[in-house]
Amino acid sequence: MKETLRLQYDALVIGGGIAGLQSALDLADQDFKVAVIEKDATIGGKMIRLSKVFPTLDCASCITTPKMAAAAHHDNIDLFTYCEVNSLDRSQGRLKASITQKPRYVDPDKCIGCRQCEYQCPVYVPDQEQGGFNLRKAVYIPFSNAIPQLALIDVEHCALCGKCAKVCPTEAIDYFQQPEDFVIEAKTAVLATGFKLTPMDQKKEYGQGQIPNVISSLQMERLLAPHGPYQRVIRPSDGKEPDSIAYVQCAGSRDLSLGISYCSRVCCMYAIKQAMLLSGALPLADITIYYMDIRAFGKGYEQFFQNAKAMGIEFVKAKVGRIEQGENHNVLLRIEEQEGDGRVVRREHDLVVLSLGMVPDWNPAGICPVGTGDDAFIKCVRPKLAPTLTEMEGVFVAGVAAGPKDIVDTIAEAGAAAMEASNYLNSSASGRAA
Amino acid sequence: MSTNQEKKATGEQKKVGIYICHCGGNISDHVDVEKLAENVKDLDGVAVVHTNTFMCSDPGQELIQNDIRDGKVNRVVVASCAPSLHELTFRGAIKRAGMNPYLYEHANIREQVSWVHHGDQATEKATGLVAGAVAKALRLQPLEPIRVEARRHATVIGAGVAGLRAACDLACRGLEVALIEKSPFIGGRTASLGRLVPTGEQAEEVITQIAAKAMANDKVTIYSCTEVVGFEGFVGNFRLTLKRKPPEEPYSAAEPQKIRMDHLEKGEFLPAAGIFPGDVPDKEQEIFLETGAIVMATGFRSYVPGEGEYGYLHSDKVITLAELVELIARYPDRRGRFLQVKGKPVRRMAFIHCVGSRQIPGIHEPDQDGRLNEYCSRTCCAATLQAAVQIRSSFPETQIFDFYRDIRTYGRGQEEVYREASRQRVTFFRFEPEDPPRVQKSSGGKFPLLVSVKDTLTFGEQIDVPVDLVVLATGMEPTPIKELVEMMKLPVGADGFLQEVHPKLRPVEVANTGILLAGTCQAPMDVGEACNAAQAAAAKTTAMLARGYVELDPFVARVDPERCKGTGLCREACPIEGAIELKERQVDGKTVVQAQITPALCTGCGICVAVCPSRALDINGWTLEQYEAMVDAIVAA
Repeated sequence: MKETLRLQYDALVIGGGIAGLQSALDLADQDFKVAVIEKDATIGGKMIRLSKVFPTLDCASCITTPKMAAAAHHDNIDLFTYCEVNSLDRSQGRLKASITQKPRYVDPDKCIGCRQCEYQCPVYVPDQEQGGFNLRKAVYIPFSNAIPQLALIDVEHCALCGKCAKVCPTEAIDYFQQPEDFVIEAKTAVLATGFKLTPMDQKKEYGQGQIPNVISSLQMERLLAPHGPYQRVIRPSDGKEPDSIAYVQCAGSRDLSLGISYCSRVCCMYAIKQAMLLSGALPLADITIYYMDIRAFGKGYEQFFQNAKAMGIEFVKAKVGRIEQGENHNVLLRIEEQEGDGRVVRREHDLVVLSLGMVPDWNPAGICPVGTGDDAFIKCVRPKLAPTLTEMEGVFVAGVAAGPKDIVDTIAEAGAAAMEASNYLNSSASGRAA
Repeated sequence: MSTNQEKKATGEQKKVGIYICHCGGNISDHVDVEKLAENVKDLDGVAVVHTNTFMCSDPGQELIQNDIRDGKVNRVVVASCAPSLHELTFRGAIKRAGMNPYLYEHANIREQVSWVHHGDQATEKATGLVAGAVAKALRLQPLEPIRVEARRHATVIGAGVAGLRAACDLACRGLEVALIEKSPFIGGRTASLGRLVPTGEQAEEVITQIAAKAMANDKVTIYSCTEVVGFEGFVGNFRLTLKRKPPEEPYSAAEPQKIRMDHLEKGEFLPAAGIFPGDVPDKEQEIFLETGAIVMATGFRSYVPGEGEYGYLHSDKVITLAELVELIARYPDRRGRFLQVKGKPVRRMAFIHCVGSRQIPGIHEPDQDGRLNEYCSRTCCAATLQAAVQIRSSFPETQIFDFYRDIRTYGRGQEEVYREASRQRVTFFRFEPEDPPRVQKSSGGKFPLLVSVKDTLTFGEQIDVPVDLVVLATGMEPTPIKELVEMMKLPVGADGFLQEVHPKLRPVEVANTGILLAGTCQAPMDVGEACNAAQAAAAKTTAMLARGYVELDPFVARVDPERCKGTGLCREACPIEGAIELKERQVDGKTVVQAQITPALCTGCGICVAVCPSRALDINGWTLEQYEAMVDAIVAA
C-alpha cells in the first residue's frame, strides 16, 4: 500500500473564500508557510460570485481576482482545491489534518486549461455558477476567472463518450482517477469555512422554491453580473423584462419558524445595492423592498440607503406572509403592512427576490473539537478581546464561519485571526504554551 | 537579473505587447474590443495584441508571461480597469516572467472609457489611450524599488481597547512598542461601560485584562499624559516628538472631585477613568521617538446633544445613553423599588434612538462646527436595548418606552437582546426622521416630562407618553485630532473619521504607507469589532516591519546634474519637508549648489518638475519626455 503523503506547514487555512485568502496572505506576508484547503474546484468563495459590492459598487470580480491571484502566486502559500477535510486533531503540539483530494478525473499536472474538452463535450447541465439559468458542459472549468484553471468532470452527468479524452492535447483526462488521502501537519489553523444561503425550499409560505419567478438573491447577483447568464435582467420563466420587482427581506433570517433567530447582517445592504443596479439596468421598472428594519449600519451604508430612497426605490415596512403563483407568470405577495393602515394586502410583481440569510456551510462535529453556538456558527470563546479564538487550542476562526458578516468585517476578522495564529506560532516556537 | 535585463531592454529592439481586457462585459459591452485591437496593432513598436475576458485572471496573466518568456515582447501595455485595481497584479506577473516590472504601462479603458462613453466614441477614445500608453511604454526605463531600512519598533497612538490590543499583539511578535495616551489612565472609553452586549461581560474586567497584559509586557512602553507634538520621516523611519506633562487636576469627567494620583496603585481601575499605568509626570518633558510604523487608535467621543435637542439641558431629566450606562454600571447592589436618577425614582422612562446619528441634510441641523452625522453609529441600538433589559430585570415595576427608526441589532447574539426586550414588555414606537418625538415638560401631573410622537406602527396615531426620564441614544463621533491629522497629513472621510485605503478590502490601512488604523477612529464599532480591527492592523504592521526593510515604489523625483542650476525653486515648492535639499557638489573643480532628493520622502507629486526653469527634474516612470510622447500619440490616434 502506498504511504500517505505528509506535508508540513506553519499554518493551515480551511476555506479559500475571501476570509481564508486574507488570513493566508496576512500570515504569508509574515513569512509563515501556509496551506489553504478549499472544497470547491476554485478559490474565491462567495465573493467572486457576486456582481458588485456595497457601498462602493466596485465590480466583485475586479476586486476579488487580485486577492485570489496574490494568494495563488505567493511564495509562502500553497492552494489545495477540491479537497475535503476529514479530521483535524492535535497531538504532541501539532495539528494534523487528514484530507481527501476529490477526483477531478483530470490530471492537474497535465491540464493546461485550454478548454478543448469543454468545447467538445456533448452533455449540457444547468450551471449553478450562473444561478442555474445557463448550461455548462459535463467537463468544465468553473468560470473564466477561476483559480486554478483546471477542468473537472461532473461524473453524475458525464456520458463517458470519450470525446474529451480524444481532444485533450496533453492526455490529461483520467476516467479512473481515485480520491487520494493525504495529511497536512501544521502548528496552527484558521477556520474560514463561510456560509451558504438559507435553503429556499424550507419555507412553505414562500413557495418552497417552486414558483418560477421567485429567485434567490444570489441568482439575482448573477443576473446583474456583467458576465452573467443573459447579460441583461430578464425573468426566468418567460424571458420578459420585469417592470415590477420586489425584495422580500428577512427571508430566512430573524425567523423562528425556520429556527434562524439571528439577523444575517448583509441582506438589507445587498437588496439596496441590487435595487440600485436594477434601476440602472431597467430604468422604468418599479422596485419595492419589503422590510422589517433597514439595517444599514456599516461605514457609508446609511448614506447608501438614503441615496436609494432618493432614487425612488420604494421601501415598505411590512412582513410578507405568503408568496403565491399569480397569473401571467406573475407573483402574488400577501403582506401585512406594519405602517399605513396596517391591513393585509395583496400586491403583484413580475419578479420576486428572496433576500435569503446565511447559514454555516460546515459543521465541525466529528471533524475537530471546536464547539458551535446556538446559531450553529463556530463558537468564539472570547468574543470581545480576542474574537477569533475557538475552543480548540491553536485553532482560530474568521469571517462568516463565526457568524454572518459583510466583506469588510470579514477582512478585518481575517487579519485578526492571522494575528492570533502568528502569535501562537511565535509562542509555540519559543517553547511557551499559548 | 537587473544588469542583464537592462541591456536587453535598452539595447534590443523595443517590442510592445498590448493586452486588452473585456472585464467580463464591463468594457466589451461598450468598447469594440476587437476593433480596438485592430486599430492599435500597427502602431510603431507593437509586436503582439491579445484580448481576454479577464486579463487579471490566471489565463490572462499567463498570456502575458508566455509572450515575455518567448521573447516576443519586452514592454507591456494592459488596457483594462483603473491602475489602482490591477497595476500591481500585472507588474507582479511581469516580474515572475523575469522582466523588469516597471517596463509596464496601464491604459484605463473602463473607468475612463466604457463606464462613461458608449458606441464608436468609446472605441475611439480607448484607441487614443492605448496609443498613448504604447508611446510611453517605448520610452520606459527599467527601475528598481527603493529599499529603506525599517526600525523594528511601532507606535500606537491611543490606549483604549483597540490601542491596547494592537500594542499587545505587536509586542508578542517581537516589536518594541510605544503606547501613547493623552490621559493619565489607559483603557479609553471602555472604562465607562457596564455590561457588554451580548455576552454580559463586565467592561471593567475586559479592559483590566488587556491593560494588565500590556503593562506586564516589557516590550511595551506606556507614555500616559502624553501627546504627539512633532512628526516627520517616512515608513520604517518615523521620528516623533512627544510632550509628556503633569495632568491638570481635578481629573475625571464622571466625578469632579480630585483624584489623588499619588494614592493610586499601578493597575488600579477607576470607573469612567480607566486603569492607572503606574506613574504621572511631575514636570513637563519632551521625548523623541524613532519608530517604524504608527497605529492610530484615537477612538471616539460620544455625541453631545445640542441645547434643547429632545429637551437636553432644558431638563435635567433628559440624559444621554452614555450617562445612563455609566450610572447603571456602578449602581449599588442595595436596590430599591426603582432606579434612582438624580435622587428621583424612575417609574417610567423613554429611550430615543438615533440622536446624533443618521442625520439627514434638510431635516437635521448641523452643529456649530458644521458637522452633520449622516452615518449610523452601529452600537447604540444594542446598547440601548441591553440597558432596557437590565433595568427591567432589576426594577420590574419600571415601564420602558422605546422610540426608534429601525432597530439595528445586527450582531451575533444581539437579536436575542431585542427579543428579550420585547419579552420584558418594553413598548416600541417607530418614528420617521421628519417627524421625530417631541420632549416637553409636563404641566402638572405625576410625571415631569411628556414625550409625544406620531407612531407609524399604529397608523400614524399621535401618542403622548408621560415619563420621569428620557435617555437619548447618542452616537459616536471621531475624537477630534485636528493637530495630528494636519501634522501627519492623514486622510479624513466626509464623515470625519479617518479614511481607509479601500472601504472593502483594505479597512485598516491609510494611503500614507506605514500608518494603520485600529478601532473607532476609522468608523463606529463595538469592543469586539475594534479588537478585530486592531489585530488586523497589528498583523499588517508586523508583516511590514518583520524583514527589517521596506520596499517603496521608485516613482520619485530625480535631478539631472547637467541641468540643475541650484535655483532652489523646487525646494520652496516641495510640500514635503526634507524631500528636496540643496547640497554642494564638486563639478570640474568648482563648487556648485544643486538639488538633492531623499527618495524615501518624495511622494512623486511632480510639483518640483513644474517649477524648475531648466527642466532639470523628472519623475521616474513619469518623465516629461514620456508625457509629450503620450500627448502626441493620443492626438495622432
